[in-house]
Amino acid sequence: MRQHLIELVFFSTYAELRAERARSYLGLAWWILDPAMQMAVWWLLIDVILGAGGPGYLPSLLIGVTLWQWMKSCMTHGGYAIWSNLNLVRQVALPPLVFPIVAMLSDTVKFFYILVVLVVILWFSGYPPSAAYLGLLPLFVAMLLFSAGVGFVIAALVPLLPDLRFVIEQVLNVVMYVSGVVFMLSNVKSPLRELLSLNPIAVMMDAARGILMRGEFPNWIGLGKASLIAFAICAFGVWFIARLAPRYPKLAA
Amino acid sequence: MNGEVLVELRNVGVAFSAKRSVGDSRFWALEDVDLTLRRGQRLGVIGRNGAGKSTLLRVIAGILAPDRGHMKRGPVSCQLLSLALGFVPHLSGRDNAVLSGLMLGLRRREIVARLAAIHEFSELGDFFEQPIQTYSSGMMMRLAFSVAIQVEPDVLLIDEVLAVGDAEFQQKSGAALRARMGEGHTVVLVSHSEAQIAALCDRVLWVEHGRSVMEGDRDEVFAAYHRDLHLAAPAP
Repeated sequence: MRQHLIELVFFSTYAELRAERARSYLGLAWWILDPAMQMAVWWLLIDVILGAGGPGYLPSLLIGVTLWQWMKSCMTHGGYAIWSNLNLVRQVALPPLVFPIVAMLSDTVKFFYILVVLVVILWFSGYPPSAAYLGLLPLFVAMLLFSAGVGFVIAALVPLLPDLRFVIEQVLNVVMYVSGVVFMLSNVKSPLRELLSLNPIAVMMDAARGILMRGEFPNWIGLGKASLIAFAICAFGVWFIARLAPRYPKLAA
Repeated sequence: MNGEVLVELRNVGVAFSAKRSVGDSRFWALEDVDLTLRRGQRLGVIGRNGAGKSTLLRVIAGILAPDRGHMKRGPVSCQLLSLALGFVPHLSGRDNAVLSGLMLGLRRREIVARLAAIHEFSELGDFFEQPIQTYSSGMMMRLAFSVAIQVEPDVLLIDEVLAVGDAEFQQKSGAALRARMGEGHTVVLVSHSEAQIAALCDRVLWVEHGRSVMEGDRDEVFAAYHRDLHLAAPAP
């Protein structure tokens, strides 16, 4: 049974990626174009118009937008996955956790393509690779756990309260602003900086910039704390979905 | 009355919320159903529209959990025969066959081993490699049925889908399904057609208003069901 579910998750992920590629005219190119356009907007606004970017702004923005897009897509795609598969939930006895996992896996595969482009751009911009790249692995695990946890909690609730979708996009925008995605924490004045650095996403963004731009290993204590929080949210999300699972097949079309 | 008991329901009820909004107004689609399914039995479920027949199938399939009563299921797979389960428009017939087969509980290697049979049964020819969004609805149904008929759960649950597609394929799919039911599999069949149930089932469960009225030998239950129908009809 378990092996069968793993096969289903992997093949569904492949199907999802393939279908997405076929759905749009430019296909795969959108995986790169989408973050590139977002980045252009922020660069224009913060660096060019407001002049608030500071040195190294463009690469730090590039890293922030790329990572945040991955986290956000896991939270939203994963978060809407049970709701958008309710017709399947009504017809077949599958653990509902399968649907958000498939969505997050396919977003993660996409992210790795984008990451390669990101890293190449950084090399050519004068930020060479370093031994600190090893720190990316635990960092990405923590980021995925965190996003998956938030995604699971959203996924558990949206089928019962579809109206939440209207709020979630806005909430995630606010989360982005307070997480140092489009600005660097080091540019924020005290005591706001200390306050913002309590946010695990901000800590993870900072760690990513340290690794990729300055060749610094992450602050293990900070990353450890963020990982613990991520793990706790993830465990809660899994429990929450299992708890609400009997209600999903009964929901009206 | 021999054969090991695969599924047993005692006083099972299932409630639905009437609408998706604040406030609790539940209705019981199943009120009180008893059922015993033994290995090798072919059980037909009869009853008027809205009696709860389809809900009952979804309980046996493990999709819906009972809100009251007891249910016992042995370590067996119960699969509802669903057509076009999980189909993705942009994928080829072949990929959709694999995906749908996985959803229906097959292992990947089992489906891959049967792809040739699916391809042949569906009569899709070269279209098998094309995205299914290019298919006509008839072609889609042929693919869907060809996949579904490959599934071999311990208990096969069928809800009124005995024949699909054009007249010719209807005959072929109906025949394939009857052959599958005749192979000694355990089957639960919900149908409006008494003729179908009479032809395919040896035991019958009669459900009315979410309650099981009678379960037993096919002819006995049909006789009682007909008596009741006549009593319910207005006097001439």
